[in-house]
Amino acid sequence: MAELNRDMFVIRGKDTARMESISRPSLSFWSDAWRRLRKNKSAIIGMLIVVIYAILAIFAPMVSGYTQSQMDAQARNEFISAAHWLGTDSMGRDMWTRIWMGARVSLSIGLISAVLNACVGAVIGGLCGYYGGKLDMIVMRIVDLLYGIPSLIITILVMMVLGKGVAPLIVAMCVVGWIGTCRFVRGEVYRLKEQEFVMAAKVMGIPDFVIIIRHIIPNIMGMLVTNLCMAIPGAIFQEAFLSYIGLGITPPDCSWGVICKEGIQFLRYYPHEILVPGFFICTTMLALNLLGNGLRDAVDPKLRGTD
Amino acid sequence: MLKYILKRVVAAILTILVLITVVFFLVRLMPGEPFTSAKLTPEVAENMRAYYGFDKPLIVQYIQYMGNLLQGDFGYSMKYTNRTVNDIIGETFPFSADLGIRALVLAVSIGLVLGIISARNRGKKIDFFCVIVAVLGTSIPDFIMGAVLQYFFGIEWGLLPVARYDGIEYTILPACALAFGTLASVSRIMRASMLEVTSQDYIKTARSKGVSDLRITVKHQIRNAIMPVMTIMGPTVASVLTGTFVIESIFAIPGMGKYYVESVSNNDYSMVLGMTVFYGIFLVLCNLIVDILYGVADPRVRIGER
Amino acid sequence: MKKRLLAVLLTSAMAVTLFAGCGTPGSSDSGSGSSSDEKVFRYSTNTEPTTLDPSKGNCIPDNEIQHAITEGLVRNTGGEVTEGVADEWEVSEDGLTYTFHIRDDAKWSDGEPITANDFVYSWQRLMNPETASPYAFIGEYIKNGLAVETGEMDPSELGVVAQDDSTLVVTLEHPTAYFLSLIGSSGQFAPIRQDVVEEYGTDFAADAEKNVYSGPYVLTSSENQQWVFEPNEEYWDRDSIKLDRCELTYVAQQDTSLAMYEDGELDYVQLPSASVENYEGQDHAFLNGNVDFFYWNTASETCPALTNVNFRLALNYALDRNTYNTLVNNDLYAPTTGLCFSGLADAGSTWGENSKLQGYPLDGDADQAVEYLNTALSELGISSASDITLTITTSDNDSSKRQAECVQEMWVNTLGINVEINQVTYAEVLTRQQNSDYEVIWGGWGADYDDAYSYLEMFKSDSSLNRTGYANAEFDELLNASQTETDAAARSEMLHQAEQILIDEAAFLPQTEREVHYLINDSVEGVQFFHCALNIDWVYADFAE
Repeated sequence: MAELNRDMFVIRGKDTARMESISRPSLSFWSDAWRRLRKNKSAIIGMLIVVIYAILAIFAPMVSGYTQSQMDAQARNEFISAAHWLGTDSMGRDMWTRIWMGARVSLSIGLISAVLNACVGAVIGGLCGYYGGKLDMIVMRIVDLLYGIPSLIITILVMMVLGKGVAPLIVAMCVVGWIGTCRFVRGEVYRLKEQEFVMAAKVMGIPDFVIIIRHIIPNIMGMLVTNLCMAIPGAIFQEAFLSYIGLGITPPDCSWGVICKEGIQFLRYYPHEILVPGFFICTTMLALNLLGNGLRDAVDPKLRGTD
Repeated sequence: MLKYILKRVVAAILTILVLITVVFFLVRLMPGEPFTSAKLTPEVAENMRAYYGFDKPLIVQYIQYMGNLLQGDFGYSMKYTNRTVNDIIGETFPFSADLGIRALVLAVSIGLVLGIISARNRGKKIDFFCVIVAVLGTSIPDFIMGAVLQYFFGIEWGLLPVARYDGIEYTILPACALAFGTLASVSRIMRASMLEVTSQDYIKTARSKGVSDLRITVKHQIRNAIMPVMTIMGPTVASVLTGTFVIESIFAIPGMGKYYVESVSNNDYSMVLGMTVFYGIFLVLCNLIVDILYGVADPRVRIGER
Repeated sequence: MKKRLLAVLLTSAMAVTLFAGCGTPGSSDSGSGSSSDEKVFRYSTNTEPTTLDPSKGNCIPDNEIQHAITEGLVRNTGGEVTEGVADEWEVSEDGLTYTFHIRDDAKWSDGEPITANDFVYSWQRLMNPETASPYAFIGEYIKNGLAVETGEMDPSELGVVAQDDSTLVVTLEHPTAYFLSLIGSSGQFAPIRQDVVEEYGTDFAADAEKNVYSGPYVLTSSENQQWVFEPNEEYWDRDSIKLDRCELTYVAQQDTSLAMYEDGELDYVQLPSASVENYEGQDHAFLNGNVDFFYWNTASETCPALTNVNFRLALNYALDRNTYNTLVNNDLYAPTTGLCFSGLADAGSTWGENSKLQGYPLDGDADQAVEYLNTALSELGISSASDITLTITTSDNDSSKRQAECVQEMWVNTLGINVEINQVTYAEVLTRQQNSDYEVIWGGWGADYDDAYSYLEMFKSDSSLNRTGYANAEFDELLNASQTETDAAARSEMLHQAEQILIDEAAFLPQTEREVHYLINDSVEGVQFFHCALNIDWVYADFAE
């Protein structure tokens, strides 16, 4: 190998014009996340589907010309047609109307209860994981307890006190719903708090509160979003299960879960009655997952600044 | 370490005692009564209340119940009038557990593999495929999954037995239906967790040291990424092993799930309590094991040192 | 290093405990690989039997099992009363005393003779408050039955006496025309062996081994939600029993049992209503005696409108029962405007044949309904129908939900009143019925014995089965008179009149009579169906060669 000598190098000098410029605009955490999210095509598709469904849920029942409970003995189990855009169910009710009326209930229950669960669970789990010790021990025993009590009993009692309807249902589902996220966040925080960057922050004298908000939460955000996306269908079907044992949405209102329950009996003969609600649930979940993946990437502090 | 485990075991016993107490009183608050039948007359109802000791003050009933419980006696069911709760659990649990184990093995192994593949091929087609599988898994509920599997594999194609439990081949469909949801969540969490780990410094270090990709995945990533999966496994193991109402009823498996749900809607107090205690013990045990494994799997977490 | 060891230990401990249970439970010998010349009848139930104790049976599946493994004094097969453990009996002039003579060759499955004392013991046990039988009320026909049940009298004072080992004298409270039919189909009246009960205590009949059997079959297994019956070799009429085995399996969902039937794992299956039209030509049907209706609280405080006869008539006329039947039951059931099941035995004919009931039009009558409503509104002093809100309480199962949804839709559309649905668990529905804590509630009735009284009793003001608060002196009088009347035709006349009163006063909302559609293996013969206490009676079933 040839030896290096001075002649092989050229002095370029320094570019004083560029050295002071900032390679990327200084962005807050959230605006950076938004910027990255916008660039993620599949996340945008996901977001679009969710928005379209939400709009349809609000307006579609108005233009169908049917109500969700209107029955027609002459038009039972009909396949998709001009009169019934998504066919009819076994009681001759218009599926299009029912799907979108059901979407109002299901989407709000799914989204609200999942978000609520995630928030409550993350805060409590975060505290437990970070501080550990006695607090952790006590909260975890409460969690064990709540896990142990059959959730049906809790739901029945909450509904007995608060009455029936969507709001009591969400409350009832949240009473036990947060513990999953809580356990999970606690585990993550448990792990993260031993890591160097948290250590460093501690050494620098940053208050715990700030450490949790600025350092730990962003680091588990990705997992939290993934968890959230999976919790939504869980909530939708829990509502269906509760409706099934008479604790959910009461007729004439319906939900996607209820429509599925009604349709599954006709799997062999009128498959559209299960495929239609199934399609909307699956596409919603796909959309939410794409969006969730995008969000995950967008909020990941380790991917900051990369494209 | 030993001291920690001991502490946890004591806490577990306390938790279960509190659990029994809470449930004992909660079930009494529920609307409706245990002795119901379309043809129940007031005279009969009174005799039945006396037979089950409901005419005594609640606190006396509680003490009696706890006394029996300490001897391992859950009492007689109020719906299945001449069978004990112990007997029913003893008969049905093996079926639920058997099915549950198969489902769990299936769910965890496939779920982990899918999660790992999908994380290693992030953004590629195979990743998208894994997302689809996971989305289907989470958005198709068990009652649809079970019915669809039963219809196609059992009836339409006649490949597998449709229901009941008379041998290994009978468990395939219900185990698959049961596994699907868990499989999906395991794979999603594993993927997210793997990605989390990938950007950690020690992985970068290993990579810059020229350690091969495969070796990094196997030696470093998986071991660290598996922890969040373990967290969700605690309660999942407990609930899957103690039976699932929907799958068992679709496939006519004589398992525990039915009693867990039905006892609540029938207000069969002794059955509710029996099921709760049994499930509670399982749950606390699983969570304890998970917490201990935490310390074992992650070298940086030292439990019990604070 | 220590840690790794611990990890290995823990993981393997977990694995071992997990797989320990993996020994394929219950796969022992119940495999259906029976040899081809064995006659095995296999069917399923979607309601799990609750008990094997004859005294404690309280639902149709319980009783169907008892019908095979026990035998009462007489045997009721599809409505026909034949000899049972008793081969002769006399009824006194006044219809109050029955003397049964027990056959010499009546034996328990362990070879012991069946004696009159076994009946005395069983019936006293049924009525004894300490037994807490959920169905004790069925023995209130026996003299002092109610007093024993409430603990006012000692069980020994019950009107059943063993004169000697083979003579049993039964005294009744009042002449009960259907007494033989009742004891022939209700397992609660089967004999029980005192020594066996005492041997097992509270565990008596907890499983197949803990009992001896008096019936044509013995139970050989009751494990894993499957009940296996084999012929009782000691049974006096062993020659009439053709099956080698019968297997009853609990299958929660009808769709599952249908799949099992198609797979050749069952010989008999009830069709889920969604599937019936796809089996046209292959299916058979019978009416199972269940009548669907809604109760309403005729003394309701929360909805005073229900106390008004015209309002209740309006509700009844607003229901188009034919369309209702299409929407709710796929046209499978039979719409009805009466209370009593039409197939009941009635003075040598059936209730439906003899009925001259003036019911509501089956297609409903919207104009008439509105007319009644307007009358009701002016009587009640309510200005508009929309001021009335009714709550229908219904249970959690799919068909009761559909019933409520359909009724709600028709009432809202025809009458313009507000209707809410409150879905609760089945246990809560029953509790609310018992406490009359409802406005309108899901209901239905199947008879315990082959007589209209079983239905009409529900509206008798002093009956403990009256859930509605309905009271009508004329109606009560007719029913009381029917209990002492010994002339069948006159008695039938009274009961028909009583039913007409209920309809004129709109005491409830009649809907449909249930029809069960089923598939059965072509080579099976001799299976009987009945409309009270039990549905399927396979005791004399046989397979064609």
